[in-house]
Amino acid sequence: MPEKQDYLANVDPMSFMGLLSMRKEKIDAGETKPLPGTYTVNEKAKTLHPKEQYLIISKVTQHGSDAKSFELIPNTAEGTKGCAYFRAGQYISVLLDIDRAKVSRPYSIRSGQKDALNGKYILTIKGTENGYASKYILENWKAGMEVETSGPEGNFYYEPLRDAKHVVGIAGGSGITPFYSIACAIADGIEDCNLTLLYGSRTKDNILLKEEFDRLEANCSKIKVIHVLCDELDNECEIGFITAGLIKKYAPADDYSIFLCGPQAMYDFVDKEIETLGLPIRRIRHELFGEYKNPEKEADYPKDAVGKKYKLTVTVRGDKQAITCASSDTLLVAMERAGITAPSRCRSGECGYCHSRLVSGRVYIPKFVDGRRMADFKFGYVHPCCTFPLGDVEIDVPAK
Amino acid sequence: MRGQYDVIVVGAGNGGLAAAAAAAKNGLKTLLIEKHNIPGGCATSFRRGRFEFETSLHELCDYGPANNPGPVRKLFTMLGVEVDWCVLPDTFRSIVIGPNGYDVAMPTGRKEFADKMEEYVPGSRQSIEQIYSYADDLERTCAYLEECKGKPDPMVMLSEHANFMRLVSSTVNEVLNMIGMPKKAQDIFNTYFCYLGADCDTLDFANYALMTVSYITRGAYIPKMRSHEISLALEKVVHEHGGDVWYNTEVTKILVKNGKAYGIAINDREIYCDHIICNVNPHIVYGKMMDKKEVPERAIKLANARKFSQSAYTVYIGLDKSPEELGIKDYTTFIYDTADTVTLDASSAVIDNQSLAVNCLNIAIPECSPPGTSMLFFTKLYSEDCWKDVKIEDYVKTKNRVAEHAIEHYEKYCGVKIRDSIEEISAATPFTFARYLGSPSGDIYGYKGSKWDGMFQRLAVQEEEHFTQGLRFCGASSAWMHGYSQAYISGGDAVMLTLRDIQAGY
Repeated sequence: MPEKQDYLANVDPMSFMGLLSMRKEKIDAGETKPLPGTYTVNEKAKTLHPKEQYLIISKVTQHGSDAKSFELIPNTAEGTKGCAYFRAGQYISVLLDIDRAKVSRPYSIRSGQKDALNGKYILTIKGTENGYASKYILENWKAGMEVETSGPEGNFYYEPLRDAKHVVGIAGGSGITPFYSIACAIADGIEDCNLTLLYGSRTKDNILLKEEFDRLEANCSKIKVIHVLCDELDNECEIGFITAGLIKKYAPADDYSIFLCGPQAMYDFVDKEIETLGLPIRRIRHELFGEYKNPEKEADYPKDAVGKKYKLTVTVRGDKQAITCASSDTLLVAMERAGITAPSRCRSGECGYCHSRLVSGRVYIPKFVDGRRMADFKFGYVHPCCTFPLGDVEIDVPAK
Repeated sequence: MRGQYDVIVVGAGNGGLAAAAAAAKNGLKTLLIEKHNIPGGCATSFRRGRFEFETSLHELCDYGPANNPGPVRKLFTMLGVEVDWCVLPDTFRSIVIGPNGYDVAMPTGRKEFADKMEEYVPGSRQSIEQIYSYADDLERTCAYLEECKGKPDPMVMLSEHANFMRLVSSTVNEVLNMIGMPKKAQDIFNTYFCYLGADCDTLDFANYALMTVSYITRGAYIPKMRSHEISLALEKVVHEHGGDVWYNTEVTKILVKNGKAYGIAINDREIYCDHIICNVNPHIVYGKMMDKKEVPERAIKLANARKFSQSAYTVYIGLDKSPEELGIKDYTTFIYDTADTVTLDASSAVIDNQSLAVNCLNIAIPECSPPGTSMLFFTKLYSEDCWKDVKIEDYVKTKNRVAEHAIEHYEKYCGVKIRDSIEEISAATPFTFARYLGSPSGDIYGYKGSKWDGMFQRLAVQEEEHFTQGLRFCGASSAWMHGYSQAYISGGDAVMLTLRDIQAGY
């Protein structure tokens, strides 16, 4: 057997010491100029995704009896230099201080992306029955007031790599707002797709942003709006609910994507209609379901928990406090009522920003709003925005 | 002054998580602080529709089977980390486009890898076996270095570990040439170079061979529930041993007086401690977190002498067809324009470069997405500042253009059609990494490895370059360099050194 060849014979084992000397020399020759405090990429990342935005209400416009539009501009005194750019269809989470409760609400940015580049967002907010936050906003928000919001969030936007070239939008009530922004993106040439919008309202008077949409439609052939009224007959509008038949009547014969945004009742009805169309899942996109309420109506909800009040122990950065949480309230709502500023954004179980450790206790999380990651189940983490107590509960919550 | 904590760990990336777990496990009163709302840094996951995407882990080469544990398995076993692992069937498929191109798929296992290489490149077997033998020498030295806790006897190193000394001061390509490895076999063997963020004329052979042969010998491991599982498992260890973890909390200052770190500041208060372990790039710590007069001049000089390594772009795709329906067979596929690592490394300065790594998680974990679906992720590396001039309003178009090219490239060279099956798609760019990691320019690999700034060079002078008492570093920009395995090891090592400091009365 031949002797093993020593290929490394010519390499001096001491040459590593030479590399260490080279290191010393490099450091000796290193500049003493101070290190940069930040970097262009990091600054741009902050511009795109600010953790918070401080804004001022610059203008309020009334729409009919129950809705208003609020123009928001940067509050430079608080350090916000511009309105973060976004993808048409995204929302911002608005922070509210209502009777000492620290509450957040997600609202779609109604204005176009071009407005954001010019330092302006518009939110259009409609009062709803039992709408605690919307009622507060409509009554209290006035021009000149300061507002704190999150950066743009959410995944309800047109994505050319995924979606069909033709979008059939289905909107109910205030669910129209993200579609207005998407329509602006199409009219401004930012997105290249067609939008056929089926917009359900009770009566003609209830249609939100009608004139605004009429103007966009008149100027851009890619946008078409069909109003669907359930409580009024009108020659220019469809009557009834948004059915599979109606979708087929207006959708193109070939490929299309359906985007839906509206109240839970609309999803419950329209989803069943869409099922009969036989579209693949990738062609159907829902905006957030919104805050989930009334867990006791679910078949798998333990009946003995109905109408109970439990102790909720909350730890934030090591500070522990005990509050009360009704079985019908989410852990997030209970914390907000108690004045604890817990993190929250989508309030629909999806975004995970409220991700918290369940230290002890039993909870109920409706399956269809449970947006947790797999490992969260294994290690006991919850999203308080869609978690209900089934007994005394202890959680460890990140600071806001 | 006694602090409220023995140790505060700043940043819950892989290094910080391992450090906090090891500190708490060793009985130190520990606080782990993280700016983001969840742990992990790169090591996390995110959900879109029916899919939960892996953010960044390709595979762990330093875990290994119970009968041949790698350093990460040893560390995790010591800590009591509960993760369910899947073992990968193969190392990689490597496609090089062009006249001298090739398309090879390499298995794990020493014999299997050598057999396959011999099949693709007749006459290569002996050189591969020589590499295995060197890797064994290197592992033996690493065991010695661990045993002597990083303080080797120079005479022992020269007499008993001479090959280590030689291999650590030679580049990958120098050694491959010395052992007479056929060129094509060299190219195939060098496929993983991108995991170390430097080319094979720069990388030392020891570092590269230890990693690559560990892949071949120990196989590669991936957690069943994405990296988020490892991150939460490590966090659990911190809690189990009485440690605290605070999220959404940004450390704004490292408090240092007369060369000794004594605490940190967050937005509303200061917290005092005896030791700090930073899972933060030193550029950030010395550049903005420390009182200027306490920043050691040599630390600045070292930082200024270094280069950042690379950031990344990843596009995550959920498909509504199974891998079988699509014809996907490989877990990792590298698609390169050339096998020349110097050219490839340099091309990371251009947004529209063609290099690509593609992973199909379902090949490793069949049940990772619902039946009839699959998940792919495409990764590209970018050198510092490559994306810095992208305008905010062009950002989406730019990332979609890169995704579009990557998809086309993959479809063309792998013969797999995915364009019409995309159910979810989302891209992370250097801006995304900058947002979630806070590292300079979204760097994921720390400082770029060079002849004078490789892992073993850094480790050899770690104590000499310990500039501030009570302040140690872990993570990608530490002495252990980057990658999941290295980051975990760096966290464990930072605690070992801190315990030594405590014993010495600091």
